[in-house]
Amino acid sequence: MMLRNHLTLAWRVLWRRPFFTATSLFGISFTLVVLMVAVALLDHIFAPMAPEVRQDRTLGIFRARFVGEHSLWNSAAGYRMLDRYARNLPGVERLGIVSVPAEVHSYTSGRRIESFLRRADADYWRILDFDFLEGGPFTDQDVAGGSAVAVISAATRERFFGNASAMGRTITADGQSFRVIGVVSNVPATRPVASGDIFVPLTTAKTDAYRQELLGDFFGLLLARSSSEFPAIKAELESRLKSVEMPDREYDRFEAPAETYFESVAGQQFGTKEDVRGHPERLWAAMALVGCLFLLLPTVNLVNLNVSRIMERASEIGVRKSFGASSWTLVGQFVVENVCLTLVGGMIGFALSGAVLYAISAAEIIPYAQLRLNLRVFLYGFGLSVLFGLISGVYPAWRMSRLHPVAALRGAAR
Amino acid sequence: MIRHLLRLAWNRKRANLLIALEILLSLIVLAGVATLAVFYVDNYRRPIGFEVEHIWTIAIEMHADRANSSITVQTGQGDPAAPQTPVDRGYREQRALIAQLLLALRDMPEVEAAAAAFITPYSGNTWNSDIEIKGKTYRYGGNEATDDFARVMGIEVLRGRWFDREDDGAAWSPVVVNDRLAREIFPDKDPIGEFIDEQRPAGQQGPRMRVVGVIREFRKDGEYASPENFLFTRSRLDDPSLEAQPPRELVVRVRPGTTAAFEEKAVGRLRAAAPDWTFQTEQLAQSRETAHRLWLAPLAAAGIVSGFLLVMVAMGLTGVLWLHVTQRTREIGLRRAKGATVADIRRQLVGEVAVLTAIACLAGAAIIAQLPLLEVFPAVRPAVYGVSLAISFACIFALTLTCAWMPARVASSVEPAEALRYE
Repeated sequence: MMLRNHLTLAWRVLWRRPFFTATSLFGISFTLVVLMVAVALLDHIFAPMAPEVRQDRTLGIFRARFVGEHSLWNSAAGYRMLDRYARNLPGVERLGIVSVPAEVHSYTSGRRIESFLRRADADYWRILDFDFLEGGPFTDQDVAGGSAVAVISAATRERFFGNASAMGRTITADGQSFRVIGVVSNVPATRPVASGDIFVPLTTAKTDAYRQELLGDFFGLLLARSSSEFPAIKAELESRLKSVEMPDREYDRFEAPAETYFESVAGQQFGTKEDVRGHPERLWAAMALVGCLFLLLPTVNLVNLNVSRIMERASEIGVRKSFGASSWTLVGQFVVENVCLTLVGGMIGFALSGAVLYAISAAEIIPYAQLRLNLRVFLYGFGLSVLFGLISGVYPAWRMSRLHPVAALRGAAR
Repeated sequence: MIRHLLRLAWNRKRANLLIALEILLSLIVLAGVATLAVFYVDNYRRPIGFEVEHIWTIAIEMHADRANSSITVQTGQGDPAAPQTPVDRGYREQRALIAQLLLALRDMPEVEAAAAAFITPYSGNTWNSDIEIKGKTYRYGGNEATDDFARVMGIEVLRGRWFDREDDGAAWSPVVVNDRLAREIFPDKDPIGEFIDEQRPAGQQGPRMRVVGVIREFRKDGEYASPENFLFTRSRLDDPSLEAQPPRELVVRVRPGTTAAFEEKAVGRLRAAAPDWTFQTEQLAQSRETAHRLWLAPLAAAGIVSGFLLVMVAMGLTGVLWLHVTQRTREIGLRRAKGATVADIRRQLVGEVAVLTAIACLAGAAIIAQLPLLEVFPAVRPAVYGVSLAISFACIFALTLTCAWMPARVASSVEPAEALRYE
């Protein structure tokens, strides 16, 4: 009942001065557009999405390094490291191996085509769930025999063959020829393990040098039975790596942590020579800090507007106070009013962010990325709106509740 | 007058504090974007030290060892040219093959000159090092290049000479430094012929470095990057030592009028000579365009966001000042009744906002001055902060005074009788 009164009043107040309401709504919706676009981008990088549908029970080996007292040698993992130390870990169903994307050039009829090529094993296709438009993945036999076959993305098919079917046709990349056996939907370039234009068996590498490498350019994907196995898998891999032989006296340990992609990014940002883990909570804290710094100016702006509007309503407050309304009631009323306002702004912002994300996708700023608002982003946006409404409403409400009724009635608020 | 305005501002200190805070935050946002923009403009007008047109770069991936460009290696001290692992991975054979590749390229009618280096411009690869001389540490970006590199890249040699055959039998390691590093180490001495690494880092082998030439500049990250110290060492493809790593980048100067079809032909020849290696060719002008987009993207994003922020602030400030003015109708009416002109009232109201803005600017300047004082961004010269702060001041005053103008007009148009009726 109380809330309904508040809401009715809030609605009336909003319409009393359209310029102020428009100003507040502009500030709120613009602020939320920036935050929601940022959240949608992060969501697009880190959240599970096709083909990484089993991300909740997948760990990756994204980085490896030798560490010594004076030296640090950072890289991705080499094939030998994955093959020798990461196979048959307890609790792991499969190990998939895929190289980091390498840019390769192809020349067809005087044109140059640039593609990102990845070399993978057969389990890669079982851990990820690619959407095959034509054909299928390469098999264990293909990998064992080094068959010159390739799975290509829809964009690659279009670049090489126009809109015709690619099955059975030959593409040349980096001087090597491959027969196309499958075509998959495009994956955005932001996805670290699934993006790529051309996928070929890792055994088709130009030389066998990769087989000897502890550091190299491969990612390992560990598909666990469930995420509850993660700690045991991490610990086992860590203990196995203690037996790695150092290439050189300069180094005294080898590290290649099994981690989620978020943990690996945190590790790259905040990891140190002593501690390879980046403590993901620090990455969360850093993102929250950046968000808060950005929110500072919009908040002060809204607080200013709110304070001014409250002082304008001094006589209303005076009347309510002299008829016995407690300070808390008034604070509640005002905070509700402000949260309503930010929610309206949030809705406008949500619609606008949809448009901005559509524009970013259409401009192909990130190749193949189709940025969309989803339920997760909506919930983040809703949470941010409420938070913003609370923060910017509390100080003005407190100021309002402290007005002396007599002074307020006279309208002499300072 | 100013004392009076200050007192007026003080009388409404609580509301004014919030407004001043808002102006201060806007100023900081503005100064951030302006600093980045001024930094870019300042760097852009300086020479980059090499030419861009008619040059192709070819990056080599050898699939043979891991110490290539995708890996960052930090050694605790010193000499970047020292191999990161002492294992001989066939460096001598690789260098011989690179020499053959250069011959194959020079053989093409389109090619004027070809050279090899560790780092090409706009590649994003970095090799940082430092030397200690008489207790002072000099940091620099390093590169290792063959004798034809200066000719291919059109590098201007100011004093001395670039590397050539004359260096073959020398008992020292010849180096070429840029003017900046030369002036820093030898402020009042001709650097040619001087040794520059008298304090050898422990464990470093190889001959001492001796300056043979000074070049104007080599800014490998291009126009928007800040100029830095730079040092070239000589890359010898026929070096007899086992430990010298081969350069993995080729640069080729082609004759004007060479078409894009050159690329396929060149890569064909290279692949025939080294079938196991992967070659990535790019026109330097193309790499520059890509690099420029990467440099400008953050400025564009920050510019758009802060533009919207400032529109938001402008609207909010106008609204707030408007409400303040309407609350002061009686005061204004009284002043009008006592003979103040419309212009007086306007001047007072706009003056109050100007005082608030000035206070915010002082606070903002004090905060931003910490950046150069604490050397938070060593690449940014203090003068850049000064210019950007001046620009920000001008913008913020323009913004707040515009916002104050409308409300001041409304207030001063109030008839004294009308205004006093409220009392």
